[in-house]
Amino acid sequence: MKTSSGRRPWTFYALAAFFALFVLFLYGPMISVLVLAFQGPSGALDFPLRNPSLIWFAELAHPKGTGDVIGAFNRSLPLALIVMVLSVLMSVTAGFAFRRRFHGATLLFYTAVASLIAPGLVLSIGILVMFRFLDLPAAWYSSALGAHLSWALPFGLLIMFAVLGRLNPSYEEAAYDLGASRWRTVRDVVLPIVFPGIIAVALFGFTLSYDEFPRTWLTAGTKNTLPLEIWTMTTNVTSPALYALGTVTTIFSFLLIGLALGSILVIQRRRSAQR
Amino acid sequence: MTKSDTDRPDSVQGSLTRRTVMKGGAALAGAAAGSGAITGFPMVWAQKLKDITLNHTGMSYSTLAEIAQQASKDLGFKVTMTVVDHPGMTNRLVNAPKSIDIADMEIWQAKFAIPQGVTQAVDTKKIKNWEQLTPLYTKGTFNGKEVSRQGDAPFPIMYRDSRGAKSFAGKITEWATFVPGVYNADTLGIRPDLVGRPITSWADLISPDFKGKTAIQNIPTNGSMDAMMALQSAGIMKFPNMGNPSKQEIAAMVDHLIKLKKGGHFRALWNTFDESVNLMASGEVVIQSMWSPAVTAVKAQGVKCVYQPLKEGYRGWGNGLALMGHLDGLKLDAAYEYLNWYNSGWVGGFIAKQGYYSANPATAMENLTPNERGFFYEGKAATADITSPTGQKTNSTGEVRDGGSYIDRFSKVAIWNSLPPNAEYLYSKWNEFNAA
Amino acid sequence: MTSKRSLTPYLQVTPLALVLLVFFIVPIALVLIVSFFRYQMLVGLTPDFTFDNYLDVLTNPTTWRLYFSTVKFTLIVLALTFVIGFWIAYFLVFHIRNLLVSIGLFLVCTVPFWTSNIIRMISWRPILGKEGLINQALLDSGVVAHPLTWLLYSDFSVVIAYVHLNTMFMIVPIFNSMARIDRALLEVAVDAGATRWEAVWNIVLPLSKTGIALGALFVVTLVMGDFFVVSVMSGGLSGSATTGMFNDLQFLNYPRAAANAVILLIVVLLIAAGIFRLVDVRKELVR
Repeated sequence: MKTSSGRRPWTFYALAAFFALFVLFLYGPMISVLVLAFQGPSGALDFPLRNPSLIWFAELAHPKGTGDVIGAFNRSLPLALIVMVLSVLMSVTAGFAFRRRFHGATLLFYTAVASLIAPGLVLSIGILVMFRFLDLPAAWYSSALGAHLSWALPFGLLIMFAVLGRLNPSYEEAAYDLGASRWRTVRDVVLPIVFPGIIAVALFGFTLSYDEFPRTWLTAGTKNTLPLEIWTMTTNVTSPALYALGTVTTIFSFLLIGLALGSILVIQRRRSAQR
Repeated sequence: MTKSDTDRPDSVQGSLTRRTVMKGGAALAGAAAGSGAITGFPMVWAQKLKDITLNHTGMSYSTLAEIAQQASKDLGFKVTMTVVDHPGMTNRLVNAPKSIDIADMEIWQAKFAIPQGVTQAVDTKKIKNWEQLTPLYTKGTFNGKEVSRQGDAPFPIMYRDSRGAKSFAGKITEWATFVPGVYNADTLGIRPDLVGRPITSWADLISPDFKGKTAIQNIPTNGSMDAMMALQSAGIMKFPNMGNPSKQEIAAMVDHLIKLKKGGHFRALWNTFDESVNLMASGEVVIQSMWSPAVTAVKAQGVKCVYQPLKEGYRGWGNGLALMGHLDGLKLDAAYEYLNWYNSGWVGGFIAKQGYYSANPATAMENLTPNERGFFYEGKAATADITSPTGQKTNSTGEVRDGGSYIDRFSKVAIWNSLPPNAEYLYSKWNEFNAA
Repeated sequence: MTSKRSLTPYLQVTPLALVLLVFFIVPIALVLIVSFFRYQMLVGLTPDFTFDNYLDVLTNPTTWRLYFSTVKFTLIVLALTFVIGFWIAYFLVFHIRNLLVSIGLFLVCTVPFWTSNIIRMISWRPILGKEGLINQALLDSGVVAHPLTWLLYSDFSVVIAYVHLNTMFMIVPIFNSMARIDRALLEVAVDAGATRWEAVWNIVLPLSKTGIALGALFVVTLVMGDFFVVSVMSGGLSGSATTGMFNDLQFLNYPRAAANAVILLIVVLLIAAGIFRLVDVRKELVR
């Protein structure tokens, strides 16, 4: 941080402008989502906005036509959260394993990479056929969960590679030498260093599962997950209810992030106050 | 739930006359009780029935949440809806049959499901209003005349020889492949304000007048039918049987489509219903193959759109509700009750406003206002504005439905949506069209 | 101690290995077996050992054309996401002084990714369409006389959507790699008279190559395996390597879809192996 203290170099302003452009690009289409969510009853998915109203938010809560968005959300959210937690636990531990040599490391590594790149539609069928063979019912919490893990885990594992790659083992050794227990070493030395990585794995795990279509296509069982439901909604009269959903998701995400950052800020303040 | 609690005993005793369907349900309940299967405790039976959840899986246009809500209210047990796309339906039918109770499939999809033995045939004796159902499905005739057999017409697929038969009977038996569901006859949708001339033939789909302003469906089985109709009408090709084109015919057709595509004739190929609505409403496209409710959806946005009848006739399609093989006991009874309910009126009235027809037009019409009945079924001018199920105005007073009356429309079905014997070849050629 | 130590990595990878075994190896083995079966429409699968499905796929010129088009998209998207991802990550890591602000900005970039891909694809239409915002603005300002049609349902819109949907998968690993770079190194370099550009080129780029390699792998995987984006954003006018697979699945031709999947898997695995040859992501890991 020292180099960047003092007067900011011109590159800062150039990159800040680039960053702003990128955010504009990311949110540009979101603006059409945010605005058109307030379409009136005869409104289309395109501009112009006609007779602004809240009816599409009401439609979300009490669906009249196709699209059980709330029901699908109630399956997709827990599924994404479970995938998130499991991929953090499994890929972080596995990531640490890869810091040592063990038999089968290369095989496991390439299996994970293969699992990441296997075509989702076909893997979906493979898992479905396996479940049918074992006479197990396909459901979001069994077959779809497994299907999601089969690619969220490799993502998480590889992210851990980027994080652990430059974690200097001498830090841990120093802690051991100072008589720290194994657990304490992990808690006080390793965890703070890998924490941003864990956040990244969690983010990926959640996003990949929450948005996954091909792998869920046939493994979801009787009830659809959110992406499936949205896809099938586009096979019927699509209404701005889709945009209402996007708006609600975005606002909810911002609240969540604000809450998380706020609490971190409070914790930091409290800690520095203690010192 | 309190509503169904009070409804239930009434309907079992047969005293409620709110809807004809209730009598159907009651009669069935009585029959099941009397048959000895439930040893004469209708109340206990009704109690147990209440715990049943029946899953109806189908495509978006017919698998509507409101139907499930109404069914749950009327029948006293829970009906849920799962919407899938066409390929999802085909794959789930065959490989996850237990995830479905009632399969709402397209007629041609039965050709996949039945040989795999995943469904059980419907005992037509248990369908109370079977004789009332449209002969379009049950007898292969309409308005006294034989219905076109080009493509997968309903009748040849309608019957099987026994409950477990893995092939179609091709004649009337007591075992139906499914109970008829919604159906319609499709044609081209146009923007009357933008086409600039009268549209009378399927040939207009490939007319150079509309270069860069047309679209066709990217679902190979349907898209190819539209293309065949267009090429034949334009006198470019001749198809002896559009339901079973030879490999040479398919190759020639796709070659022609590729030529059109490379010449910039198509603005897009639409994959989903929603895309077709948007292409039309946004003016990207002025003439394209469309589904009837898509036209309604465009109109609901205040944009002029006509479902243009063409001289060569319509492309018909239909759905059927099949019983999955794993259903038995009480759940099977519930399923039969649902099938009886489905064609007893409420659904018919509801889907009419979506632009579809019921297999039981008589009861469907009872559930429409005289104005709606006249407009949707009888080809009369609307005496008041017509609104969609969600309340948007779709037609003004004085308008007549595109294509006229129910009888007019179905007398002119030229071909049916189908899974042609050369489908595999068709798909691989269509892939070339996509890649070109 | 030593025996316990040597057992540890095995215990640590067991959960991962089990999940991969059950939900990847077994199903993909089934797929591999089925790829040698025969299929007859309306009859079903016949166990066999035939290479016909592979021959079918490989001798079809359409397959090659689709692969060519998919590879073209992959390369374009890879280049764009790398340039964007690298500089965004660089900005967040080296130019933002407060960690919390940096995390906050990072999260701002990820929020759109929690809205369904399908919705985000659809949301481009009111922007890029014939009567969309861009065309309206261009027409109103008199820059063009007729609406631009290549904005939507074209290769352009496909690339836009890919970049929009996939850049995060490039930013995250690069961000994580960069966050591990010791800033003192940069300082020393600048003190020794290196220009800012030289510092980036000689220090930051090499030290974040693990992240770049992983981001590239993610983007390649996502674009090569995609079917929906290309089909929706091109208005059905372009296909991808997965289109053939999807068409086969529509009429239950599992053997040919499986053969297609195996070929795609091998192709992408080769690309992955190529990436790992350039950058050994595990080398820096092992002590």
